[in-house]
Amino acid sequence: MYTSTASTISSMKTTISPSPNPIKKETFPPFENTKRLSFSSFKSLKCIHSPPSNPKRLTSCAAFTLSPSLTTKLVPSKLPHLITEFESLSQPIDLVKRLLQYAALLAPLPDSSRVDSNRVMGCTAQVWLEVELDEYGKIMLWADSDSEITRGFCACLVLVLDGTPPEEVLNVTAEDLAALNIGLHGGARSRVNTWHNVLVSMQKRVRILVAERDRKKDFDPFSSLIVSSDGVQAKGRYAEAQIRIKANKFSSY
Amino acid sequence: MALKLPSFKFLNPSISTIRSPPLLRKFSSSSSSLPVSASGTTLREASPASNSVSLGQLTRPDFPILHQTINNGSKLVYLDNAATSQKPISVLKALQEYYESYNSNVHRGIHYLSAKATEKYELAREKVAAFINAEESREIVFTRNATEAINLVAYSWGFTNLKSGDEVVLTIAEHHSAIVPWQFVAQKTGAVLKFVDLNEDEVADVVQLKEMISSKTKLVVVHHISNTLASSLPIQDIVHWAHAVEAKVLVDACQSVPHMPVDVRDLDADFLVASSHKMCGPTGVGFLYGKSDILSTMPPFLGGGEMISDVFLDHSTYAEPPSRFEAGTPAIGEVIGLGAAIDYLQGIGMQKIHEYEMELANYLYENLSTVNNIRIYGPKPSKGVDRAALCSFNVKNIHPTDIATFLDQQHGVAIRSGHHCAQPLHRYLGINASARASLHFYNTKEDVDYFIHALNDTVNFFDSFK
Repeated sequence: MYTSTASTISSMKTTISPSPNPIKKETFPPFENTKRLSFSSFKSLKCIHSPPSNPKRLTSCAAFTLSPSLTTKLVPSKLPHLITEFESLSQPIDLVKRLLQYAALLAPLPDSSRVDSNRVMGCTAQVWLEVELDEYGKIMLWADSDSEITRGFCACLVLVLDGTPPEEVLNVTAEDLAALNIGLHGGARSRVNTWHNVLVSMQKRVRILVAERDRKKDFDPFSSLIVSSDGVQAKGRYAEAQIRIKANKFSSY
Repeated sequence: MALKLPSFKFLNPSISTIRSPPLLRKFSSSSSSLPVSASGTTLREASPASNSVSLGQLTRPDFPILHQTINNGSKLVYLDNAATSQKPISVLKALQEYYESYNSNVHRGIHYLSAKATEKYELAREKVAAFINAEESREIVFTRNATEAINLVAYSWGFTNLKSGDEVVLTIAEHHSAIVPWQFVAQKTGAVLKFVDLNEDEVADVVQLKEMISSKTKLVVVHHISNTLASSLPIQDIVHWAHAVEAKVLVDACQSVPHMPVDVRDLDADFLVASSHKMCGPTGVGFLYGKSDILSTMPPFLGGGEMISDVFLDHSTYAEPPSRFEAGTPAIGEVIGLGAAIDYLQGIGMQKIHEYEMELANYLYENLSTVNNIRIYGPKPSKGVDRAALCSFNVKNIHPTDIATFLDQQHGVAIRSGHHCAQPLHRYLGINASARASLHFYNTKEDVDYFIHALNDTVNFFDSFK
């Protein structure tokens, strides 16, 4: 009932400055154009969960694809679009319906991924999350829940954050999502706030992935400050944060 | 407001029209004209089309919070009373009066305000003692909540009395707060926790419990009323079995004390805990009842002021219970508020509350059972099987959180979803979560009607997305 009309405004592609890595993941011809959505700002959505190496990603991809977008530097460029879209819905029931529509587009995770080690801890519904880095250093996200409304939240987060650089994921706060005007029970940091729980969990995993990647690069397994003739260099999140706070309270990556 | 679905017809128009009693109606013994049948009748017998006004309708004016619209104009229907109850005006006034006119620290100063605060604080202790029929008020220890009360017993009595190989018998239907403290104790002492399953009626299996009690048993920890199953346990029998092997019994009475008469001498339990906020009192206060001879032998739980007799640099001597267990400045105003809540409840009468809630419990269960594809957990009500006025349930293929979200947003109905801090029980039932509607005496059959209608609408909504 909510799938048919195609509307392919392409503002997404126009938003951003050129990036040396223009394309995120693979596009999958078999899935393209199979099912377009009518959501106002997200045009040619393609299956967020594209692909390849892992067969689970092919499972029942609802076949919408993010246009292989270029990305902004800081806040994920898709977030304002999502906010605009949600702001246009004045009735709460329409927000719920929209979330359920997004939920329907999110490919379910296979049972092998719906395991405790992928759980997002929270009280009311189960959420599973997988995060990987692709070959270009961009974040690949998969999420699922046993609650449909929560799946909707997951779908929105995946839509906004999948394919972005780690820094973008780390820069988003639950407060940034407040403008969506749904699901912020008890404030942005409440334990029943799905946005917050899933987002924080994503960020934790992104940090781990980035740390692992950097460790491989540097062959340095320890978080520390490296003191050398070139000066002091931060290694590890805590040390980096200390340096950054000193350098500039508001500096971002 | 335009948010009702096409299928949704507005419900009982009579729901919010009860304004007759004056807003500050106080319940005292003079309220004996309440028409609630004293015989604990079932729904059908008790619903004559007379002018009778239910206890719910009579008491609602005392709870200002219930009279509001939320989420785009829905009238609030509050059905999350097992999580926390609402507070009557008399409790709010007691809090305000304390802070306005005699806020001061207790048991310390000799000045007027401190003396008055101390007097009121200790008076509240006496009220609690009388409310549960304790022998003396020093058997009541004020804590932050029931969780802290259980932890107090675990850390003080448990670490002193349990050793490797000793057994603690619990049921799988216990609240996390009655399980986790004993896991801490078990890990450190080597004591063993043994869990009783449910029987075929989905009630904690007392036959199994009886068999599980042995000479190794040192403690039995059980709920009085289950916060998920709505079932009750025969505490007197359990205490009898436990005492026969010289084991102690701790009763989690959080879901019984607010809803029915509870008499600790009758139950003969060694420890009993409950929380103020579930019984129309403020948050931040709970209490532990402990038999005085047992409390006297227990070491302190927290160190600080109030709990000591003399402090030297290398050791201290401890005050007698209950001071021994009330280190630091307590929640004075809140304890006094709890005293006011007890006055309010006793003004109505716990037996009357219980009978009215039994009627509501049956009405809720019968009506909820009519919803398509619903599964209600716990025992089926029948002769001899009373359920508390709450139902945990699931509707096939709809997540309880989705149900709770939609009920709240579209209909202003507040219910709980999740595992209700009873994960082992949910696991046993083969579910991750459930929805729960829980009532108190200020709820009405109209609230239940509204809820059922809203739930049917919710189910239709989600079904339309499949």
